Amino acid sequence: MIRLYHIVKSYGDRDALRDVSLHVEKGELVYVTGPSGAGKSTMLKLLYGAERPTSGRMLIAGVDVAKMSRGQLPALRRNLGVVFQDFKLLPHRSVAENVGIALEVIGAAPDSIRRRVPAVLNIVGLKGREDDKAGVLSGGEKQRVAIARAIVTDPAILLADEPTGNLDGAMAVEVMEILQAINLRGTTVVVATHDVGLMDRFPYRRLRFVDGRILGGGAQAGGRR
Amino acid sequence: MKNSIFHAVRGLREHTYLAVVGTGVIAAALVLLGGYAMIVTNLGAVVSGWKRDVHVSAYFVPGQSPEAQEAARAELALRPEVELVELVTSAEAQVWMLERVPEVQPIVEELGEGALPASLEVSLRAAYTSPVALDAFAESLREGGHFAEIDYGREWVERSSAFLHTLTILGVALGGMLVLAALFLVGNTINLVVYARRDELEILRLVGASDGYILAPFLVEGALQGLVGGGAALSLLYGVHALVVARLLGGVPLALGEGGLAFLSPVAAVGLAALGVSIGVAAAGFSVRRFLSRLA
Ligand SMILES: Nc1ncnc2c1ncn2[C@@H]1O[C@H](COP(=O)(O)OP(=O)(O)OP(=O)(O)O)[C@@H](O)[C@H]1O
Ligand SMILES: [Mg+2]
Repeated sequence: MIRLYHIVKSYGDRDALRDVSLHVEKGELVYVTGPSGAGKSTMLKLLYGAERPTSGRMLIAGVDVAKMSRGQLPALRRNLGVVFQDFKLLPHRSVAENVGIALEVIGAAPDSIRRRVPAVLNIVGLKGREDDKAGVLSGGEKQRVAIARAIVTDPAILLADEPTGNLDGAMAVEVMEILQAINLRGTTVVVATHDVGLMDRFPYRRLRFVDGRILGGGAQAGGRR
Repeated sequence: MKNSIFHAVRGLREHTYLAVVGTGVIAAALVLLGGYAMIVTNLGAVVSGWKRDVHVSAYFVPGQSPEAQEAARAELALRPEVELVELVTSAEAQVWMLERVPEVQPIVEELGEGALPASLEVSLRAAYTSPVALDAFAESLREGGHFAEIDYGREWVERSSAFLHTLTILGVALGGMLVLAALFLVGNTINLVVYARRDELEILRLVGASDGYILAPFLVEGALQGLVGGGAALSLLYGVHALVVARLLGGVPLALGEGGLAFLSPVAAVGLAALGVSIGVAAAGFSVRRFLSRLA
């Protein structure tokens, strides 16, 4: 599903990623881990097209995205959900509007938006919260709204950059359980985190980055352990 | 499209103050432009009224018979440039002169019959009163050999034409600067709206919105602002025009064309509103595109 070959990403003369090659199979859940500044966020930014690699080849679902133009990005992003540590919700809009925005953008009919939003809120455990303003929710609830927005279009891949970084232990576990459930429905999930406790509790393959390099070969076949 | 209009209206409602400022700027620019255009148009009407009176005097070479003079008059009367042509005989000219300047009587008597040349007094049609046309007309008279001198207020015609020309050029230059200033100011209000909505735009981009999808509601917003600003400007101009006309009716009737003090022509009014819409749309386009180009 995701294949990287000798990817280098430089910011000026600083290399954020150095010769990274890795494979993530369809339906896999993998962690991208490593110390602060190792290149985890940079890695995810390349995957959703916020940054272009300096060199190397990158295939997502068979499509070469390394040299994608700005105009081609929307198509990539509609097949790819992204979740951030800081949620990126619109606090003054309702939960339903925050989730529905992803469907509006792809031109879904109002009818189907009204049907699918409650269904996906059910998956993330926010049934009946459609009309609450996103700003009044707890951190864990906000992150679940963000996840709902990321998966409401049924993307093939879900990327999460420190999704539990702003959450305390219990909420982090809840969020991780949801990501796990989404993965079990067939979505490929990539989670960047340095929360070792969480990774131990939910054991999946770890892609360990240090100083922009991947340790121990990212290409090895993984799958659930 | 329906979606864009919905988002545009929501955007305008969420940022009413900025929308009103932007609309006001467009309206103000259009009032200045439209007012100026109205003044220049009316001045133009006055000047072309003057031009209608452009008068050419052609003085005969001495010794032409009255029949030859009459034949020349008849020939001139047929030319398309000529509105009216009158023959003033030497005797008539003398009477005219003595009526106005009796002091010259001794001189005129000394010179005897034919002291003053006979002339043709020609009024030209308005379409032939430009300086170039006047010169051509005078030249054609000279070529005939009948006339010793051709007299016309060339300098004066040139001056009034040049004045109007200068006013028009000045208007275009000032208008251009005004449009640029309006674009800049409206663009800045839209920059503020974009800044206030940056999180939303970033999220839209993230979930796969194209630039066009993000841009469209802003363009609709800009068009609406331009339309409302244009309507406001035209209403205001119309009101001021009505007021001025009402005042003038009781007072001095200005030497204006038959229409009196004219309002903008329908074409100019529609053009003004269209200019407002263009300013709104262009300002939105610039501001949003600039923001989007920095967004991944
Ligand atoms: N836009 C940028 N300009 C310059 N340097 C950058 C930029 N983005 C990232 N970097 C650098 O690239 C390196 C990797 O950054 P990155 O954000 O990927 O780290 P990370 O592994 O996500 O760290 P953290 O755990 O703190 O989030 C860092 O040295 C960072 O300073
Ligand atoms: Mg990071």
